[in-house]
Amino acid sequence: MSDKFNPIDHLVLELHERAKELNCLYKIEDSLNRSDITLKEAFHTIMDTLPNGFQYPNVCKARLVYGEIVYQTENFKETPWVIRSDISVQDKIVGNISVYYQQEMPQSHYGPFTKAEKKLLDTIADRLGHFILHQKLKVVFQELSNVREQMEGSQKGEWRIVLNMVRKTDPNLFMSLLRKMLHLLCWKGVEEAEMLMRQNALSRQGNLDDQNYDDNKPLKVKKIANYDHYVETILNLAKENLTDDVILTKIQKWIQEDKSSSLIKVVDNSDTSLTEIADAIRKFYHLATEKFELEPSTAKGLRVSLLRRFFTDQLEYISVAKEYVKLTDFRFLIDKMIFPSGSHGKLGGKSAGIFLAAHILNKESDKIDLIKDIKTPKTWYITSDGVISFIQYNNLEEVLEQKYKELDEVRIEYPHLVQLFKNSEFPPDIVKGLSIALDDLGEKPIIVRSSSLLEDQIGAVFSGKYKSLFLANQGSKQQRLYALMDAIAEVYASTFSPDPIEYRAEKGLLDFHEEMGIMIQEVVGTKVGKYYFPIFAGVAFSNNEFRWSPRIKREDGLVRIVPGLGTRAVDRLSDDFPILAAPGQPNLRVNVTPDELRRYSPQRMDVINLETNEFESISVSKLIEEYGASFPMFNEVFSIIENNMVRQPGLLDVDDPSKEFVVSFEGLISKTNFLKKIHAVTKVLQEKIKSPVDIEFAHDGKDYYLLQCRPQSNLADISPDNIPKDIPQELILFNAKKFISNGKVPDITHIVYVDPSKYSEIPDRETMLEVGRAISKLNKVLPKRKFILMGPGRWGSRGDIKLGVSVTYSDINNTSMLIEIAKKKGNYVPDLSFGTHFFQDLVEANIRYLPLYPDDDGIIFNETFFNDSENIFGELVPEFEELKNVIKVIDVPFVKDGMILKVYVNAEIESAVAIFTYPSNEAVKEIETKTSNEDYHIHDHWRWRMKMAEKIANEIDFKKFGIKAIYLTGSTNNATATAQSDIDLIIHTEKNCNIENLKLWFEGWSLALSEMNYLRTGIKTNGLIDLHFVNDNDITNDNGIAIKINTQNESAKLLKLKN
Amino acid sequence: MASKEFNPFEMAQAQFDKVADLLNLDSATRELLRNPLREYAFSIPVKMDDGTTKVFRGFRVQHNDARGPAKGGIRFHPHETADTVRALAMWMTWKCAVVNIPLGGGKGGVICDPHHLSAKEQEQICRGWVRQMAKNVGPLNDVPAPDVMTNAQHMLWMLDEFETIHGGKYPGFITGKPVGMGGSLGRTEATGYGVVYTIREALKDMNINPENTTASVQGFGNVSQYAIELYTQLGGKVIAVSSWDQQDQCSYTFKRNDGVDLEQLRGITDKFGGIDKNKAKELGYEVLDGEAWIEQEVDILIPAALENQVRADNAVKISGKVKIIAEGANGPTTPEADKIIQEKGIFLIPDFLANAGGVTCSYFEQVQCNMNYYWEKDEVLSKLDTKMTSAFRAVSDLAKKKNLYMRDAAYVISINRVAQACKDRGWV
Repeated sequence: MSDKFNPIDHLVLELHERAKELNCLYKIEDSLNRSDITLKEAFHTIMDTLPNGFQYPNVCKARLVYGEIVYQTENFKETPWVIRSDISVQDKIVGNISVYYQQEMPQSHYGPFTKAEKKLLDTIADRLGHFILHQKLKVVFQELSNVREQMEGSQKGEWRIVLNMVRKTDPNLFMSLLRKMLHLLCWKGVEEAEMLMRQNALSRQGNLDDQNYDDNKPLKVKKIANYDHYVETILNLAKENLTDDVILTKIQKWIQEDKSSSLIKVVDNSDTSLTEIADAIRKFYHLATEKFELEPSTAKGLRVSLLRRFFTDQLEYISVAKEYVKLTDFRFLIDKMIFPSGSHGKLGGKSAGIFLAAHILNKESDKIDLIKDIKTPKTWYITSDGVISFIQYNNLEEVLEQKYKELDEVRIEYPHLVQLFKNSEFPPDIVKGLSIALDDLGEKPIIVRSSSLLEDQIGAVFSGKYKSLFLANQGSKQQRLYALMDAIAEVYASTFSPDPIEYRAEKGLLDFHEEMGIMIQEVVGTKVGKYYFPIFAGVAFSNNEFRWSPRIKREDGLVRIVPGLGTRAVDRLSDDFPILAAPGQPNLRVNVTPDELRRYSPQRMDVINLETNEFESISVSKLIEEYGASFPMFNEVFSIIENNMVRQPGLLDVDDPSKEFVVSFEGLISKTNFLKKIHAVTKVLQEKIKSPVDIEFAHDGKDYYLLQCRPQSNLADISPDNIPKDIPQELILFNAKKFISNGKVPDITHIVYVDPSKYSEIPDRETMLEVGRAISKLNKVLPKRKFILMGPGRWGSRGDIKLGVSVTYSDINNTSMLIEIAKKKGNYVPDLSFGTHFFQDLVEANIRYLPLYPDDDGIIFNETFFNDSENIFGELVPEFEELKNVIKVIDVPFVKDGMILKVYVNAEIESAVAIFTYPSNEAVKEIETKTSNEDYHIHDHWRWRMKMAEKIANEIDFKKFGIKAIYLTGSTNNATATAQSDIDLIIHTEKNCNIENLKLWFEGWSLALSEMNYLRTGIKTNGLIDLHFVNDNDITNDNGIAIKINTQNESAKLLKLKN
Repeated sequence: MASKEFNPFEMAQAQFDKVADLLNLDSATRELLRNPLREYAFSIPVKMDDGTTKVFRGFRVQHNDARGPAKGGIRFHPHETADTVRALAMWMTWKCAVVNIPLGGGKGGVICDPHHLSAKEQEQICRGWVRQMAKNVGPLNDVPAPDVMTNAQHMLWMLDEFETIHGGKYPGFITGKPVGMGGSLGRTEATGYGVVYTIREALKDMNINPENTTASVQGFGNVSQYAIELYTQLGGKVIAVSSWDQQDQCSYTFKRNDGVDLEQLRGITDKFGGIDKNKAKELGYEVLDGEAWIEQEVDILIPAALENQVRADNAVKISGKVKIIAEGANGPTTPEADKIIQEKGIFLIPDFLANAGGVTCSYFEQVQCNMNYYWEKDEVLSKLDTKMTSAFRAVSDLAKKKNLYMRDAAYVISINRVAQACKDRGWV
């Protein structure tokens, strides 16, 4: 029977105990918080209160040891039943506090004491430590300021009083000050000080290694007899050699330095969590009763450590940021950070970018007026390990392996994963943080942006790969919180979406431990009717890669501006256009006639509807109809087209519904310093960050806001090609003279050509989408970076796919060049893929982009070649056979007798040309000896060989033979193999590799393949596999063929690595 | 075999030669009219925004001014050729003559691309052009107008420079100005209404009451909309109209058998003349293929979109019911289609007669400017009616009398008028 009751009894007891502990804690906390309480009083309170917090208060006694003082409760006696916690101040143990039971009590965790009781004691000790420190410093500063007041009378030697006080209150600090004083004296060249120092060192050295040390030099000063004498000597030396003023300021500074040391310790220790760092920073500022400055070197060291902990280990970033970020900035930053307890997370690339940019602008605004009033929106951050804590809290760990799955699988599972995340709970500490953030942000719309760790990796721009979500942030607090959490879950889920995973796989970043930081940013904007939006927003680039006039230089930059949210300037839209301007050439317009302006001005704008809580795209003209003059900055945003003339709105125009308004930003561009400002911003940032940048900005009708800043993805080593002269016309496939950007294009063996006129004749949308799918498939079967994609209008067109093949980046990521054929349609020139996520992908992947204007003067476009050459599309992707009239795949070496296609580009002279030529690479030369057997296509040869090579690599037992990796090189890898070509394999061997056995194993394959090849083609060869062996040493030194493994142009393809 | 490069001037001359044969013109007159009377070519130095100076090439061709001051546009074009400008100047001479307005033909321009120029630089080019030509142009000898890549703004800059040089107000120096700055009312309606005035006259000749007719229109731009407006006012019924869909990059024909409602369609049209096909469906319009407009069982076809829209391949689909084709657009009919239309016996109102409402209104603008008295819109339109009607009468009478195809008759009458003026002046 008793068994049944026991658990309940126990529970009641436990609760009772817990209440007692809390009571005790509260009482102590309460008394310590009184500002007037002395140390002594505090100790008494603790002694009185403590026993009541324990299970058996009647037999409980406490004792507190502080330095030489001992406090204990009445009738105290030492017993073996004790728990003890140390009291430490500034990491130094200054005493302890213990609780004793005067008689034996039932056994618990720590003897008779429970876990909770030990914890209670620890907490009190910790709290007491802080209290003591606080008290001490109060004393020090009080006395210091007293001294300083007296110093007004400039009495000599007052610094001695200060030091004496320090000596009494904080011996450690005193020793440290003394040491520093000695250093100072040495530095000033005081000989005795040097002696003293030597002696000090000597005695220490002597302790370590008495026998070996031998110094014959006599000492000038007498041997220091004792500590007091030592102190006195130093102080006297100081008095003799330094002025009182100097000594006082120095002492003051050293005291302050000492205070920062605990912060430095915390920050420098990579094991400390963000919580501890946050505490240390808060404490540091809390303790500093007066504003003071740290030694520059100390401050810099702290800044670097904090930058590393909060943002990134990247040296490039830190070296710039440390010059611009102040310690106080971190203090404000931590107040806006949300992180799981024990977090070691960072804030991610996007946060790092904007944080640095904002501080650069802030600092430089002293020198440059134009950038003075640029603001950044209020932002809260969730650290990157928030996502991990979210995953762990919901036991979703298996998603972390998602990235290693097949892409198809990832794609299929993704929608499910999004739902899973959205239905998961957030850990309570994150929820609490978000709740505070929402209170701070108020009911303004917010945007949840991803800020992942990968985003700040050089050479990898993750723009648009992860989600950013707008929230209207209206309604009850609870509703707003749920909406926010929902959005964050969705952004978290996007870490596991197929596009970024594929991108990472390609960049070799799959194994990088990706974590997702979150920025919760207030949306810059203003309310117009039921809508909320910035008056205008956009992106600006330091380097202009879309020059519509030869007068525009690259460094003139580029701005893409839209009314409303900047999404339409960042994204690539097929049915709408941003207004473009080059800040370095503010007077040149892309659109000059009223018709052009009408056609290419933004028709829609992205806004947040505060009534429906939705992000919406609305018609600009409808908005004007509805709100007219209440549209802020109307005259800056709009122009009027009237009487075949473009003009700026006048006083009477604004509310006249009969007027034709177009978004032109003419007023903004020509009447305000907008472009100058943007130019100044990008120039300053480029100069300081030492890289061209791209920024996002917005204007709320009053101020400019910087929303984002990152290095403009660019390749450092792009040099112009020498364009060959006097090429026979028949060898030219096409040339181009507009919008050329530099970059090397590898030899091309295959051309994928989407016939513009055939494409435009496709009667239905479904078939057009099918073209995109076929391209995606080709992208997978054709040799990587050996083919080019050519097609009409805009690749990647999403809305209106008539304008170009609908593909995403992952559908084209293996091409070496993307060519858009811009057939003129009246005055219509297709929008070039610039400033969009897609384009940056191309730049990052080193996929070259070229627009062709076949109708322009002096342009060669060999349409006959495309029409007449044999099309192997149907054979490559038989499932899309019905599209063979639209898509042509031409095997260049096959139709051009072994020639390949080479594209030369030179942006300096704005010229590019694609010519058929023989490859210079020797591996490909063998193709020149043409086989007599014409029945088989060359593309069959390489594909068959490729397949076989992959098979072999899969079959071989890596462990048994001692192999590290197998690579494919030569004609099979170049897709130029003929019926007689070998399959060239590079075998990376380990030390224990038995090459003879391995050769034997391959010999079998080689002969078998040779026989198969004979059956296929009728060509006899003596074995088909050519082996090349390399070891670690070869690879390190690039010996012989090993160089192919290391070169970046992928002259050897990795078939398989040892697991 | 390399084909000879297309030369517009040679083509214009060949066309002239054909008519000159018909008119049996003497060789001196032929020689005079085959070539421009005067050609000016000059340099325009401009201080650019960046402080450098750039020299632009300007020119003006006055093809013939026997009947009055030369009239014609100023083009800003980076790839302009002398022969293109000569051809266009000649075309202007005939165009003015066919509507019998007292103006000759001219054309000019500057080799430049405004996309590479700031507004300030363009202004300097305009003013520079006038400084070079101030003595040879003016309300009494040569009247420019906007053309490719130039607009009312450029005209005002030019006018201002001209008036500064000559020390007076000469709004008649240039046309295409905004209303209130010397522009004429009725300009927007002029071309579309002009087309319908000629249709009305053609129907009169055929003894057909407009109220009993139907029409199908290609395009839904300015010309088309006003043509539909006036035609409907006359009692006619437009049952089909086609328009370009920007989104789908193709055109659709919108059909409603009891007649399209212009105001209704305007309400669902974007500013590029694109009719919203979904809304049109809701309003009860059939949405057909873009080419369907030409196949309709109507009395009148009005191609008012782009050139080369009536071709051999679709001209054969023209219904047997069609009696009139009025060319609202410039050059909508290819020569092959012309033959088919002729064979079908359809009455064709050629472009430079049918759409001469525009140039007539420019003439009115100049007239109003010269007397510094501006008419109300009604007055402009009624004068336009008179001009167009009498122009049509003259051409159709000649066509009947000489049994000529309307297009040939229009050329014959206009070239004859110019030749006669030259003779009367004793030039030839």
